[in-house]
Amino acid sequence: MSDTIQNLEEITTTALAEVASAESLTELENLRVKFLGKKGELTIQLKNIGKLDLSERPAFGGMVNQAKKQVADSLSAKKEHLELKELAENLAADAIDVTLPGRGQQIGGLHPVTRTMQRIEDIFTKMGFAVADGPEIEDDFHNFEALNIPDDHPARAMHDTFYLEDGHLLRTHTSPVQVRYMKNQTPPMNIIAPGRVYRCDSDVTHTPMFHQVEGLAVAEDISFADLKGILTYFLRQFFEKDLSVRLRPSYFPFTEPSAEVDISCVFCDGDGCRICKKTGWLEVLGCGMVHPEVFRHVGIDSEKYTGFAFGLGVERLTMLRYGVDDLRLFFDNDLAFLRQFQ
Amino acid sequence: MIISEQWLRELVATGLNAQEIADALTLAGLEVDAVEALGESLEGVLVGEVLSKEKHPDADRLNLTQVNVGGQKNLAIVCGAANVRVGMKVPVATVGTKLPNGLKIKKSKIRGEQSFGMLCSEAELGMSESSDGLLELADDAPIGQTIQSYLNLDDTLIDIDLTPNRGDCLSVTGVARELHVLVDAAYTPVAIKDVAVTSSDKVAVKIENIEACPSYLARVVSGINTNVKTPLWMQERLRRSGLSSISPVVDITNYVMLELGQPMHAFDHDKVGQEIYVRLANKGEKITLLNDAEASLNEETLVIADAKQPIAIAGVMGGSESSIDKNTKSIVFEAAHFTKRAVAGTARTYGLHTDSSHRFERGVDPVLPEKAMQRATELCLEICGGEAGEIVRQSSDQVSKGAVELRFERVRRLLGMPLEQDEVQGMLQRISDQVVKTTDGWSVVPPSYRFDIERECDLIEEVARVKGYDNLDDRLPKLIPSGRIAPENQVEKRKLLNTMVTMGYQESITYSFIDEQMLKDFAVAEQKLIHLANPLAENMSVMRGSLWPGLVSACQFNLNRQNDRIRLFELGTVFKDDGKIQESNKIAGLACGSLFPVQMHLKKANSIDFYDVRGDLESIFSLTGKPLDFIFKPCEHPALHPGQSAEIVRDNEVIGFVGRIHPNMAKKYDLSLMTYLFELDLESICAGYMPEYQTVSKFPSVSRDIALLVPSELSIGSVLAYIRLINCEDLRDAQLFDVYVGEGVEINKKSVAVKLTFQRDDRTLTDDEIEAYTSLVLKELAEEFSIELRMGF
Repeated sequence: MSDTIQNLEEITTTALAEVASAESLTELENLRVKFLGKKGELTIQLKNIGKLDLSERPAFGGMVNQAKKQVADSLSAKKEHLELKELAENLAADAIDVTLPGRGQQIGGLHPVTRTMQRIEDIFTKMGFAVADGPEIEDDFHNFEALNIPDDHPARAMHDTFYLEDGHLLRTHTSPVQVRYMKNQTPPMNIIAPGRVYRCDSDVTHTPMFHQVEGLAVAEDISFADLKGILTYFLRQFFEKDLSVRLRPSYFPFTEPSAEVDISCVFCDGDGCRICKKTGWLEVLGCGMVHPEVFRHVGIDSEKYTGFAFGLGVERLTMLRYGVDDLRLFFDNDLAFLRQFQ
Repeated sequence: MIISEQWLRELVATGLNAQEIADALTLAGLEVDAVEALGESLEGVLVGEVLSKEKHPDADRLNLTQVNVGGQKNLAIVCGAANVRVGMKVPVATVGTKLPNGLKIKKSKIRGEQSFGMLCSEAELGMSESSDGLLELADDAPIGQTIQSYLNLDDTLIDIDLTPNRGDCLSVTGVARELHVLVDAAYTPVAIKDVAVTSSDKVAVKIENIEACPSYLARVVSGINTNVKTPLWMQERLRRSGLSSISPVVDITNYVMLELGQPMHAFDHDKVGQEIYVRLANKGEKITLLNDAEASLNEETLVIADAKQPIAIAGVMGGSESSIDKNTKSIVFEAAHFTKRAVAGTARTYGLHTDSSHRFERGVDPVLPEKAMQRATELCLEICGGEAGEIVRQSSDQVSKGAVELRFERVRRLLGMPLEQDEVQGMLQRISDQVVKTTDGWSVVPPSYRFDIERECDLIEEVARVKGYDNLDDRLPKLIPSGRIAPENQVEKRKLLNTMVTMGYQESITYSFIDEQMLKDFAVAEQKLIHLANPLAENMSVMRGSLWPGLVSACQFNLNRQNDRIRLFELGTVFKDDGKIQESNKIAGLACGSLFPVQMHLKKANSIDFYDVRGDLESIFSLTGKPLDFIFKPCEHPALHPGQSAEIVRDNEVIGFVGRIHPNMAKKYDLSLMTYLFELDLESICAGYMPEYQTVSKFPSVSRDIALLVPSELSIGSVLAYIRLINCEDLRDAQLFDVYVGEGVEINKKSVAVKLTFQRDDRTLTDDEIEAYTSLVLKELAEEFSIELRMGF
């Protein structure tokens, strides 16, 4: 029996040594087959059991099983080790430089004027205003007459208004939209009308085309206090600042009382700087209570209803919001400029 | 209009300082543009007398002078002015003075000669923009007095930008009156004296258009001396108001205009004869104006004429032939009321804008001519001497202004806040001296100079203005929401914009008026052009019928600025004239350069081609929910490459175009890169569908790939469209995955590989069924197009 035991011990020692020196999972699998497989060297040791005395058999069986377990444990430990090693190697091999830029398309952007118009629309629609529009080529009635702009008003002169050869004109403001809306709807109504407008003027501070947003609210008890409240709310939302807002009397033929609206300068917080010409105030829009003459033209009873209207310049607000210092940039469509507003 | 604070304070007593006055005016709608102190930093400038003058030994143009400024020693001053002479009185800036232009006066050596000060010009004192030589002071100017007190420069100029409805404030009187109303300051009107008539000289006045000129006053002042100098105080007041001194009589008329607000004119009596007419110009009449320009008058122009010819354009400008000169001995003063309507537009017609027309266009107080005539005569006698004749006047019966009713309740309703009755009444009484209390408010007769108060809302504005807009309430009302949310089956404009942006396009905004030739080049067909009657420039003269010209110009602009990959789009209005002018909205795009931006991961920068742009369009069409509604058909478009252009059809209507720009156009418009354009009708691409739920099948789908031999000339699009129309409910999809031409495929044919996908919702399809369906498709294709199967997979 001692030979047999000695043989078993030798095989076990060899097996453990070979497992210890195995370097790959394949090699390890081969070792498992070699020693523990159906015809593996340790497995067949049990076949030698018949050569032993009956009394020796149980002890030998125990020894073989012991050796098999010893080798199997060593195999599985080694396997785990090799798997971890292989994973680490694979991970290392897969490593990339994540600081390199990504692949793909470059997104575009909206024009800053559109961006501003969308913000204006968002603020007013939240308050219950609907968005309306109207034609850019208008007639004298909607652009002037219905808005109580008399024949001899300077705005009617050739040098301010673009005319077509047939007598139509390019709207000089978005106010005709309120005329059209009031003609077709009944109060209460709250609308804004964003759009392009045209004036025959071109220099450093004027472009012949620009954008306005017209606003109108008509109901049985709309007052100047409502106008003040709504515009103050709008301006504070738009600039995301707790601005001071000031209304000054002014003159527009289609509103009475009329006002210009100033905000405390967004660049110096009202301390006075180059942009606000040291006054601490920036003029941002015009407004007023709808003139009874306008109501008469659109068939609304000015005794029953009151209303306010306002008009603001989108380019002006865009310039103040983003600090753009040259109006003409808006229509050059220089990508170097436009891309700043992505 | 520039107002001198000193002058203003003569008419109104207020404790406010100049800045406070300016603020009060601004907050009442008389916007003050600037408040400027006049005599600041002139403290070291004294009245001096030039005692001697010698040539500078080393400089031809310089003189050495000795100047007495009342000190213990005379000052040696080197002077370069040409008009310096012994005995003249001049302003002398002494050592230590800092002049308004920043120059600091120091003891200095000029070409070796000591100088202890500087003799000054008007410009150096900050009194004018430029000046010629030293400012010469009157002979009796007291030596040693500061120039500030001698010229009374302790003044502030208030520059007011008036709105067109407030013509009544275009005078010192008007602003004083306004301050009285606003801050309740005591107002003292200019005293008007009746001047004694001492001469029988007069002219006859005949108004032919009494509605344009309801009153005309003329007075002869004879025996005057026009060679005297306008007094310094008057010169200074004119200067501070922005007018220069011309001659005593003209200065007097300007002074009265600034003081009272009534524009006046003076003719040389000897040049105009005995009769003055107010009439419309006759056809062909001409007049040479005071600015030496000759005007050919039209028949709508109101003129002042003598018996022979026009001598002035009424309310605008006088003629040069009848003007005052050094030899004038006798003058005719004119003080008239021309209506707004009579003068409106006249000045502009002749390319003129005068202080007179500016005021008449805005309305001048009809009761002023009488006062102005007396005031001008008084000043004339004082300054030029002479004898006043009687005032000859022709006037229509003055129609007194009607009363305007103001209901107290209406004030509350329009302003949205309660006011005290007494407070409102107090305001009204400061505005008008004819305020009567009524049962529900007041009845107010507006003053003759307030053309802007015609109805109740005008009085409410007055109340709000005087109260101060800042003192009015504000509140955030709860509005009843207007309008409806856009229908869900419409593609939202913002979604479309965002899709364009995500695909890499940059939004641009281009002008609505463009170059005529460019529109012709890019228009789809012969279009009737819509011309502007008064364009700013030739290349901005036609309303755009397409967005392409604007995008092409923007592309050019950017190509010229080192951009080699451009994606632009615009969403905007285009115009069309088919008997009636129509406006519609389009979205258009332009793309050129590489498909992707330059990046290390893509070694080769592939230029975009038609299919990249088509892919972008398909993404847009997907927003509607049914991209297959949109069919691309080969087409011819004058601006596009004939082999790479398509019209896009939806519901049998052409709704847009896409294609590569025609090489001729690319060349003409300097587009160095291969450029693709598209333009789509906005309404058509925004009409979408509500999502409709379909059962999601629990059973697997089965695909069959087939390769078809398709005649070369047959478009693959039409084959695919046909397959999709085949009546087979279980055929769920047909996808093109390869097109092959070449070896193994006969000439005149192309091999087109299509993946057919079949599925049912209630069970798995059998092989036999799949085979039957595939055969059906092949049979239909064979019948319709004679397409054969190349192979099945």
